[in-house]
Amino acid sequence: MKRLTSLLLLASATTDAAEISFNRDIRPILTENCYACHGPDQNHRKGDLRLDVRADAIEAKAITPGNPDTSSVIERILTSDADDLMPPPDSHKKLSASEKELLKRWIAEGAEYQGHWAFLKPERPPVPQAFKPAQTFGNPVDSFILQRLAEEKWPAAPEADPRTLIRRLSLDLTGLPPSPEDVESFVNQCREGNAFVVRQPAYEALVDRLLNSPAFGEQMAQTWLDNARYADSHGFQTDSSRSMWPWRDWVIRAFNENKPFDQFTIEQLAGDLLPNPRLDQVVATGFHRNHRINGEGGIIDEEWRIENIIDRVDTTGATWMGLTLGCARCHDHKYDPISQKEFYELFAFFNNVDETGVIRGASNRSGGNPDPSIKVPNAAQQKQLADLAAAITAAESAVKAQEKNLPTLLAAWEPQFKAELAQNKPSWEPLTPEKVTSANGTTFTRQEDGTYLAGGPVPAKETYLIESPIPSGAFSGVLLETFPDASLPNQSVGRNDNGNFVLTRVEAQITAPSLDKPLNVTFTEADAEYSQKGWGIESLIAESIAKKAKGKKATSSNRGKGWAVDGPSRREPNRAMLVTSDTLTIPADARLTIRLVHETLSKHHIGRFRLSYTSTPPARVTLSGDGAVPPEIRTTMDTPAANRKLAQTQKLTAFFRTEVDSPLKKADTALAAARKRHSDFETTVPSTMVMKELPTVRPAHILIRGEYAKPGDLVTAATPAVLAPLPAGAPRNRLTLARWLVSPEHPLTARVWVNRQWERLFGKGLVKSTENLGVQSDPPSHPELLDWLATEFIGNGWNMKALIKTLVMSATYRQSSHLTHLPQEILLKDPENRLLARGPRMRLPAETIRDQALQISGLLNTQIGGPSVRPYMPEGVWDETSRYGDLRGYKHDATNGLYRRTLYTIWKRTAAPPTMLLFDSPSRETCTVKRARTNTPLQALALLNEVTYVEAARHLAQRMILEGGATPEKRIAWAFQHVTCRAPSADELKVLTTGLTRHQKHYQTTPDAAAKLIHTGESKPNATIPPTELATYTVTANVLLNLDELVNKE
Amino acid sequence: MNPLFQSHSRRTFLTHASTGVGLAALSSLMDARASVPLSGFPHLPVKAKRVIYLFQSGAPSQMDLFDPKPKMAAYFQKDLPESIRKGQRLTTMTSGQKNFPIAPSIFKFAEHGQSRATISELMPHIASVADELCFIKSMHTEAINHDPAITFFQTGRQLAGFPSMGSWLSYGLGSENHDLPAYVVLSSFGSGRPDDQPLYDRLWGSGFLPTQHSGVKFRNTGDPVLYLSNPNGMDRSLRRDSLDQLSALNQQRHTLVGDPEIEARIAQYEMAFRMQASVPDLTDTSNEPQHVLDLYGPDVKRPGSYASNCLLARRLAERDVRFIQLFHMGWDHHGGLPKAIKGQCNDTDQPTAALIKDLKQRGLLDDTLIVWGGEFGRTIYSQGTLTETNYGRDHHPRCFTVFLAGGGIKPGTTIGETDDFSYNIVKDPVSIFDLHATMLNRLGIDHNRLSYKFQGLDAKLTGVESAKVIKGILA
Repeated sequence: MKRLTSLLLLASATTDAAEISFNRDIRPILTENCYACHGPDQNHRKGDLRLDVRADAIEAKAITPGNPDTSSVIERILTSDADDLMPPPDSHKKLSASEKELLKRWIAEGAEYQGHWAFLKPERPPVPQAFKPAQTFGNPVDSFILQRLAEEKWPAAPEADPRTLIRRLSLDLTGLPPSPEDVESFVNQCREGNAFVVRQPAYEALVDRLLNSPAFGEQMAQTWLDNARYADSHGFQTDSSRSMWPWRDWVIRAFNENKPFDQFTIEQLAGDLLPNPRLDQVVATGFHRNHRINGEGGIIDEEWRIENIIDRVDTTGATWMGLTLGCARCHDHKYDPISQKEFYELFAFFNNVDETGVIRGASNRSGGNPDPSIKVPNAAQQKQLADLAAAITAAESAVKAQEKNLPTLLAAWEPQFKAELAQNKPSWEPLTPEKVTSANGTTFTRQEDGTYLAGGPVPAKETYLIESPIPSGAFSGVLLETFPDASLPNQSVGRNDNGNFVLTRVEAQITAPSLDKPLNVTFTEADAEYSQKGWGIESLIAESIAKKAKGKKATSSNRGKGWAVDGPSRREPNRAMLVTSDTLTIPADARLTIRLVHETLSKHHIGRFRLSYTSTPPARVTLSGDGAVPPEIRTTMDTPAANRKLAQTQKLTAFFRTEVDSPLKKADTALAAARKRHSDFETTVPSTMVMKELPTVRPAHILIRGEYAKPGDLVTAATPAVLAPLPAGAPRNRLTLARWLVSPEHPLTARVWVNRQWERLFGKGLVKSTENLGVQSDPPSHPELLDWLATEFIGNGWNMKALIKTLVMSATYRQSSHLTHLPQEILLKDPENRLLARGPRMRLPAETIRDQALQISGLLNTQIGGPSVRPYMPEGVWDETSRYGDLRGYKHDATNGLYRRTLYTIWKRTAAPPTMLLFDSPSRETCTVKRARTNTPLQALALLNEVTYVEAARHLAQRMILEGGATPEKRIAWAFQHVTCRAPSADELKVLTTGLTRHQKHYQTTPDAAAKLIHTGESKPNATIPPTELATYTVTANVLLNLDELVNKE
Repeated sequence: MNPLFQSHSRRTFLTHASTGVGLAALSSLMDARASVPLSGFPHLPVKAKRVIYLFQSGAPSQMDLFDPKPKMAAYFQKDLPESIRKGQRLTTMTSGQKNFPIAPSIFKFAEHGQSRATISELMPHIASVADELCFIKSMHTEAINHDPAITFFQTGRQLAGFPSMGSWLSYGLGSENHDLPAYVVLSSFGSGRPDDQPLYDRLWGSGFLPTQHSGVKFRNTGDPVLYLSNPNGMDRSLRRDSLDQLSALNQQRHTLVGDPEIEARIAQYEMAFRMQASVPDLTDTSNEPQHVLDLYGPDVKRPGSYASNCLLARRLAERDVRFIQLFHMGWDHHGGLPKAIKGQCNDTDQPTAALIKDLKQRGLLDDTLIVWGGEFGRTIYSQGTLTETNYGRDHHPRCFTVFLAGGGIKPGTTIGETDDFSYNIVKDPVSIFDLHATMLNRLGIDHNRLSYKFQGLDAKLTGVESAKVIKGILA
């Protein structure tokens, strides 16, 4: 493979005598200017000419090797006739004179083509042994880098000092700054007399310690979450919640266990297809359920199932192969040799998941995990689930035992029930009250029909007290009838001026000589003929005990307000009932006391009413009092047993089992309760979405223009022809695809991964376009190094920690990042530091900036994993743009959740954490493999003013005062060292101490302001420190936390 | 040069490099933007310097507002003829309906102004500026559900991940304001159906363009711009003092390290400090005279209302903010449309007209392009029960109305026609890409030349298919 012998900035100078390389010099010209019409895409090809295949170009006489003058390509790019000129003027593309010259020379020299380097298997190059770093130790990485620098005659930079190095390493490997103790310990190990020399044993021990820190897994997971488009919400319209954090925790564990990258890949893409997969291997497959899922009303399922699969293909291509496969969704890829058919052959691998493609099995508004998903219990939860399952088994046995008695029970019950029905007794029996009184003065007049009409004063609040004897036997509910009356305001039903009432609550109590204390009756069901909107009858029953209200949908928003009936407009009699969950037994000589409480709205009392009770079993109580015996049951009972149809007998039996008290019903109830306990507990066990294959393969088609409703030819799962073939005979499924990706034969996977690790540590990838290694990618700066690293990675068994160790152990990584002493030529020719004549200096990622502030201030909570947390967020970020879905009304957590590492922050995709977005994190709606690094005033505002940073500054201030020493100078020096890992210069110290004196004066004259500042955040300020002093130091700490040096890795 | 979102850039590098001050182009700044136009921009005569886009989220009903269909009165409750529907897809909210009863609008239409534009009685104030407006009655889209449809309108794609139109403008044209972002977003809830439809960050996101091109959403609660206020107990003088220290320390670091990003950061902190004054100055409307407030109506006093956002839009336009976008929610009227649409019109009619009048009286309408519209249209047939006085309408992507006004647009015009059912377009169809291309054209941009290299492709707002500028409406 040829490498980029000069940088892009110098590339225009390539017209010198150097040998022309197709990949370096010619391919970029052809792809940029010609391939869109004369490339791989057969549907958009013009003039039936393709220039990306040498034989075709020669046959069409576009190219005559060795003879530019008879090559029509040259004629067409040189012509002055606008109709013939290539590229055509309306394409807005134009060849430069040097590009035209290059094409001519290339054809003159024989027009040799090369395969795109990234599609060829990496071959291990020899290490250029002649080049060794000047530092005390290094490794082969340096030899490649130094060889290339030598071509430019540029020197490498000297080594960074130990303080810079330990900070750089800690931030890169753990995402956290080193502790001051670790800094001093490392510096002391490097001390040699008055000088500091970094030697391999101390440095390597530090690297190993950081790689083995649990924070390493969290640091590595951050980028992977961007790739996987991980979030806590579904991402469309309502953007309701989902639970995928068990998958996120799997990723952290995998990095910490140093799971080899091939295994890491296989488990995430196809863990479910491994033989006898473990639970964690199935959890890993959540990778391809992290995409957004739509649940909007009116959507067509298939449209979105297709979109999800296309997302999986795009994400797999971008994450593992650095390819832009999505371009081939609608037509053949314009640049890379990927046809539309091959796109849908990859699609076919992901087309076989047992899913609807939309939020189904969960709710668009309230969220949840659409199928397939899996429960992920911890050890304690596993035990409890087992215990609850055993209880179900026991209850099932009890039911079986009772079922043996069913014929006997049924035979005994039927004649008795028949007799009961024959009496045709209405189930509501009016009470005959002995006393009807009120708490606050309302008077009552009994009417001829047994109703009571309220009169007298209308107090603001009122409770009616009705006392009535009640016969012994069964009791299961009360009926409250209300009536309009001409004497009432508005001739309606309530005593308010508008004719309305609001009944807040109904209390019932049974007393009897045989009872030690009064029995309070608890109602669990309610129903009414009519309820005013927003004032439903169910509000009379506490939500915690309510059974499903009969016939009506209980809406929890109504609860606790009361029941009203639109009295101003509705002058109608109304019936409402309250029913117990089980039949109560009333002893002899009992009395029932009922209190009708009106206290929701002033002067809204019932005007005229009547109360009844019932002894019908709760399941059969209805408003009308007809006993709720279905007509077909009555018919069955009237039919002689011998003449009954099977279905009739079955329905009668079912009626008996569910409606009639018996030992069998008790056993049924116990079983239902055991099942409910199990399912209730199970809902508290976290779940996560996973992949699950359908038993039979779902047919996959080419989709014409990429549209779901336009299927074309059938395709079967296969991989693109340009890449290594699948093993013969392997089943065409995700597991085979995953194994293919991490086969040593695959040209892209290892290169993509090592290139991205290089980018993470050094700022730019060896191939700058880390997102695209296809034909349109940037040429690698150090192709041999890229291939050496890729083969090293594969050869080491895809060992991720070993790869990172190789990179950070290099002398290249350890170079100083200062620019001040670099020759001007290097700065001008290599501003992006592609050749690594200095160390990396770059702004930290969003997560690291916040984590660092929490760590430095001592606030960081290092707990690993678990459900996502809610740190501070300004009011309204979720709610100003949506009143939909369950992710609304954001409230930050108390204490613990406020200070967790940033990767645990809850992520709602349509309103992502604002400080993350400000610092260039993606929205997580689609796979992102590269973040920008911008520098904006909105970032400055966040670091200056966001609660997290102000609270962190105050905590740092406390530590300055308590741990930093006695004088301002000592405290400031302590803090400076603490945050930057180095001592301040005299000038720096002076700026801060004189500033501190001014703040002190300021707060001494404005003590109220001091008190306000130090109360920023949920944590309490240290009461032993005077507020003015704490505020003074807080301002200084706020300056320190905003230092450019802190926002950057140096 | 405006240092708001980037004080150093490849553009300044190009100028400085020739004078030997090439350091400014180092590291990440190479990818960053400046606030001056890209090289070669504008390509065309500039007819509009800025855009105010009044997005009506949820999709207003075209046949109840601007596209009268009098013949439908005779079709009340009759089934939509299959000759009109032609088997086109419907949402699954109505595709299961047994029939599709036609619901004629119950609202009265009249002709207004010299242009004799037909406008519903629901929009009396809009009617009063009819001669300023240009109606496109033949808009169409491909999406049939809200999320993909509004994403399509904003980014040219139905799926997430692409830059919004305001971000494209920020990228291509930069900013003319020294203290404010190039793209500002304001949102309000409607009273018609307050929970529909939600908005998403991506609607003003920068997609694959650098992050600083994202729209900055001004907030209705707390700081208008996130984290603008100093913490309680820290006043502006103390902030100034602390920034002076920070600047001195960063300057010392720069002397030692030599990274020009440090200078950029110093400049950004200074800009942040200036924004702490300029943003409150922008949002403080206490100096607006009463007659101006009256123009916008009583809601203008309620922060976060559409009326108050319209007034803010004018103030942003005065400050040369490039792309100002209002989103008003609540237009998704599947049921109870007559009542709900009245609420929405009550929210928006007067303030929209006021904005146009106010810009005009200040001479700003000439170079400000106004766009009003939703993400698709609604069906002539009723979703759910149809009565003489009540009906609902489902999503309808095949035709709907938007209107434009101001910079470079022919006033008092109408383009496009729909059939008697407002179901299919019969004349001059206009795609979203066409609308985008036309907007860009008025801003001086050839839409084919506003592109960004993404994943090896020249990505454009107006997609790969050839978008057409709507010639007939250009002034």
